[in-house]
Amino acid sequence: MLQTEWFVMLSAVLFILGAMGVLLRRNAILLFMSVELMLNAGNLALVAFAKHWNQMEGHLFVFFVIAVAAAEVAVGLALIVAIFRTKKSINIDELHQMEG
Amino acid sequence: MLALFVILVLVSVGSAVLMLASEDAIHSALFLIINFVCVAIMYLMLDAPFLAMIQIAVYAGAIMVLFLFVIMLLGAEKLTAPARRFRWLSVGATALAGIFAVVAAYVITNSKIDLTPGNPSETMLRVVHAAPYTGPVDVYANGELFASDVNFGEATAFKAVTPGEYSISLNPAGTANPVQLVSVTIAGDTTRRANTFTVIAFGGTRSLPPNVGLLPDNLEPVDARTGRVTIFNAYQSPINVVDFGSDGDAGETDPAKRDDRVVVADIQSGSAFTLPLLSEGLSLRSWALTDVDANQPDLAKLPLLTRLDNPQVYSIKRDTAQLWVVATESLFDGSTREVAIPVVSESISQFGGPSAVGELLFSQYMLPFQLIAILLLAAMVGAIVLTHKEGFQPRRRDVRRRVMKPLSSVIADQVGHDVSGEDLPRLPESQPEAIGD
Repeated sequence: MLQTEWFVMLSAVLFILGAMGVLLRRNAILLFMSVELMLNAGNLALVAFAKHWNQMEGHLFVFFVIAVAAAEVAVGLALIVAIFRTKKSINIDELHQMEG
Repeated sequence: MLALFVILVLVSVGSAVLMLASEDAIHSALFLIINFVCVAIMYLMLDAPFLAMIQIAVYAGAIMVLFLFVIMLLGAEKLTAPARRFRWLSVGATALAGIFAVVAAYVITNSKIDLTPGNPSETMLRVVHAAPYTGPVDVYANGELFASDVNFGEATAFKAVTPGEYSISLNPAGTANPVQLVSVTIAGDTTRRANTFTVIAFGGTRSLPPNVGLLPDNLEPVDARTGRVTIFNAYQSPINVVDFGSDGDAGETDPAKRDDRVVVADIQSGSAFTLPLLSEGLSLRSWALTDVDANQPDLAKLPLLTRLDNPQVYSIKRDTAQLWVVATESLFDGSTREVAIPVVSESISQFGGPSAVGELLFSQYMLPFQLIAILLLAAMVGAIVLTHKEGFQPRRRDVRRRVMKPLSSVIADQVGHDVSGEDLPRLPESQPEAIGD
């Protein structure tokens, strides 16, 4: 039987990698992918705890997180497409001004 | 298991690092898919098969297809000349990530997170009335009404209770004087997902009060297409469960030559026996309940209590836990007969399976589910509005242009060629009228 701690540890590692991606990469799409990685790390911890405490609610949370992530990706990528149209770039360093 | 976990950790962390490191956004997306698949396999290891499938279908499937599609659409595989205006950020980010990693490792390895097993399963209780000489009863648990007007042969629904000591009292319906008062301990089991108990009122005579027994139910999920049957003996003496086999050998005098067999021998009065899992559709027509007589080797000659030959009542139902309470029934004319009272309850669904998730979604979490649906709808509309070229302003300019179309082009459309200025029908020259003459 695998320990819950190991899954939580792996989840922490993946979360840190995702956070570093958000902070270090400049490509807006890669930024989004890093956010997805962080969400996944959180989901993994939720599922691990659900197994540990024998509670199905953790699974429900993960279900909702996945649904929200799908919505977020749809809107986020639409934003990226809209920004790319006006700025011809998705480098977030060039997008630090709010003006269109 | 451990080897698989180590491989998954290596692959998932490796793919995450490669995702961050690769310059090509397409490669990043593909590495992220590998990572998602690893996480899906871990969900399977953590008893979450439904989420594993969702992870593959929604995350590794739909969301990543969207990513790849946008990358290809924008041609944004490679970023040209990254503007390093925020160079200090990378140092700060790495430092922050390092601090977070250290804190997380310290917290997790030193058991600072409370991982003591809690008490997840709700403890449930129900009452079965199998005491023939006791009329309808009200059941009180610790002085509070638990169920009212329970007749012989009836079972109440499961009700949640807090684990602990309970004094169960049976009152004849509508009265305040208990005929029987017993104390039972309902354990709060942390390992069972369905911590359910049945209180059975049984036995007794016209003068003596009924007994009360506490039976822990087993509603754990069963294998596909099987059901669980528990037989509780509320009869006054031990019973056998006998399978008489085919009826063709009824005339056979030598017991050894008949295909009779004892399924369960000698269930003591007031105790229960759980049969091994039986497959759905198994015919119980030849099954019967008999008295126990050690001196009678011929099963057919044992006093027959009741047959289980009604397939509408006695059959193996899939995903159920049935409790058959064998009791004496007192009839109106004063005679008695033996019956097996069937109490059917659904087994709980497999942990993490689609049915378990669905049960929660459509009961306790219906409102969040609806809100998520509305959110997804809003996101859909939002994505359309954001990417639509002109937004949703009414196009008044177009309308005006059509009205303001010069007359010459309208005529050109109609006659099929350009018309020169001279050919155009002219409005009569307007003479400025003299006003105020």
